[in-house]
Amino acid sequence: MSSHAKEAAAFLADEERVHWHDQALWFVRQKRDTASKNVPAWEELRETAHQIKMHTLSRLPEYLEAFETKASEKGVHVHYAKTAQDHNETILKILNSHNVKRVVKSKSMLTEECGLNHFIEKKGIEIIDTDLGERIVQLLEEPPSHIVLPAIHRKKEEVGELFHKHLHTEKGASDPTYLTQAARKHLRERFLAGEAGITGVNFAVAETGGITIVTNEGNADLGNSLPPLHIASMGFDKIIPRAKDLAVFISLLARSATGQPITTYTSHLAGPRPGQEMHIIIVDNGRSEILQKEKFRKTLCCIRCGACLNTCPVYRRTGGYSYKFVIPGPLGTVLAPHKDLKKHKSLPYACTLCESCSDVCPVKVDLHQQIIEWRAEIDKQGQLGLIKKAAMWGTTYLFKHPKLYRTLGKLGRIFLRAMPARLLNAIPIWGKNRDLPEMPAKSFSALHKKKLKQGGNYGK
Amino acid sequence: MGSREKIFADLNSVKFDQRFDYPTYAHPNSSVIDPYNSFTTVLDSVGGECHYVKNYDELKAKLVNFEVYETAKNICSCLPEIEKGNIDLNLVEDVHELHNVDLAIASGDFGVAENGAVWVNGDKLKHRGLLFLAENLILVIESGNIVNDLNQAYDLIDFENTRSGYFISGPSKTADIEQCLVIGAHGARSLIVFVIQGDK
Repeated sequence: MSSHAKEAAAFLADEERVHWHDQALWFVRQKRDTASKNVPAWEELRETAHQIKMHTLSRLPEYLEAFETKASEKGVHVHYAKTAQDHNETILKILNSHNVKRVVKSKSMLTEECGLNHFIEKKGIEIIDTDLGERIVQLLEEPPSHIVLPAIHRKKEEVGELFHKHLHTEKGASDPTYLTQAARKHLRERFLAGEAGITGVNFAVAETGGITIVTNEGNADLGNSLPPLHIASMGFDKIIPRAKDLAVFISLLARSATGQPITTYTSHLAGPRPGQEMHIIIVDNGRSEILQKEKFRKTLCCIRCGACLNTCPVYRRTGGYSYKFVIPGPLGTVLAPHKDLKKHKSLPYACTLCESCSDVCPVKVDLHQQIIEWRAEIDKQGQLGLIKKAAMWGTTYLFKHPKLYRTLGKLGRIFLRAMPARLLNAIPIWGKNRDLPEMPAKSFSALHKKKLKQGGNYGK
Repeated sequence: MGSREKIFADLNSVKFDQRFDYPTYAHPNSSVIDPYNSFTTVLDSVGGECHYVKNYDELKAKLVNFEVYETAKNICSCLPEIEKGNIDLNLVEDVHELHNVDLAIASGDFGVAENGAVWVNGDKLKHRGLLFLAENLILVIESGNIVNDLNQAYDLIDFENTRSGYFISGPSKTADIEQCLVIGAHGARSLIVFVIQGDK
């Protein structure tokens, strides 16, 4: 069992870093705002994207079969994996059949979800993450702390130290350009030596059997254009019906993720290149269970842009690791309880219900609504905990009894004004890291009554 | 039961209480008014550069002044009309041999004004890896065609007959260290796009 608040304590200890993290992500959110406002039909695009996804989800068997048929016709070996274990074993089998010892991998949250790296490494196969951020966290032996910006929790000095140790950069050097160039050199060697490339998939088009992969670095392209073997892993939720739908999704994806009009590389691959073998692994790993639950199925519309993380006031101030789940932020909050409700029951409460996540979501996933649903579910399953349960019961009772509410309000104002703030802040749970606002002399009801007497005029 | 059967059995058992029809939508066009101007502006903003020329001769005359051309030891060109280069892509057996290409010159089918992307058909290249291995990349849009937006762009692509195709918008980049933008992550360190607006 973990608690978001407890896990966040370590991150919160470094106030300066928290502030930097908060501001850096808020800056990305602002870039997203600017980019989306440059598209006059932004809201229409979001609605269309949502409708295309919901339509696809309602007919997955049909579209998956069409994709499989088309991709197979084009020479792709299509596999299915019900579980993470199935996924990893399928990949291992393919790698072994080619006697592969060196793999270059580009970013894929699915392979993180399946724990692929660890599994493959244990079998004596080298697997190198080639996205710069992912390489940083791989060398640090840490998971990514953000789904688009994996190393956002690390400062350049820390990366400098890490690269000094592993890539022999100059000691104390922390210039991002210098460090990136060192990584380029280091990873170029790995790309050229790679015997297989593993990539994720952003979109899989049923109509054409093709997949679309986006990167800014070009690492996915080096990974699938050099080695004689390309393996692409995708959740079945990556399916879209038609190639033309890409116009909608590609218009939304990079703008939502980083505020770019499009990523540097948007690659469309249908079948292997001459002399290459290409495999696509279609993974379930809990997705069909989510699809079964009507209140939660919209999550499967997600295109993994990370906008909900960037905007979340809780994520920005607590960092990715506080969530103790492969995907942090609002998206992780609604995904994690499906895997283990008891373990992740604190996540739906690590939320202010500000609804910003739902507002920025390019495919209109009802994230905040699902967070509320999870709170109800947690109570239903008896996981709410005594304190929260008592507080909810008390609040319900109070709201049902207006007289009691008013009396307690009056007493509260007097009591809280009289009590020293330090004493209040010493109360655990609520008082920690929080200051109570100053108590007004009169309640809202009293002010309202007074206004009514004066003719109900609230100015202007 | 194998994974495939299990997944399909589970998916087939999912009930939807309403129909979700494929949306009938007219993809809204972007607000682009002057595609040529927009293309240049956006490409510039993502770290690339665009030059409009009337024909090959003008292109050749401009090309020699670029530092990436002047300093390139190994040039692999897919457009011999413009530059022969010293590496013939069609004679290269293994894509790995292209690891020391300083400058690649390839053709792009058209540009997209709203995002500064060029559509490159990878099937035209014997080794598509050239696009990503080369230190610097020049793309030539011989058709002179710049469309307004992705909606128009996707209408032009023949996916039935394309095995690999790319939108490339600017040079390779990353901001994975403290959100500082660094140009030249894994792919090309620079991108120059020439658009030919005449009869070559």
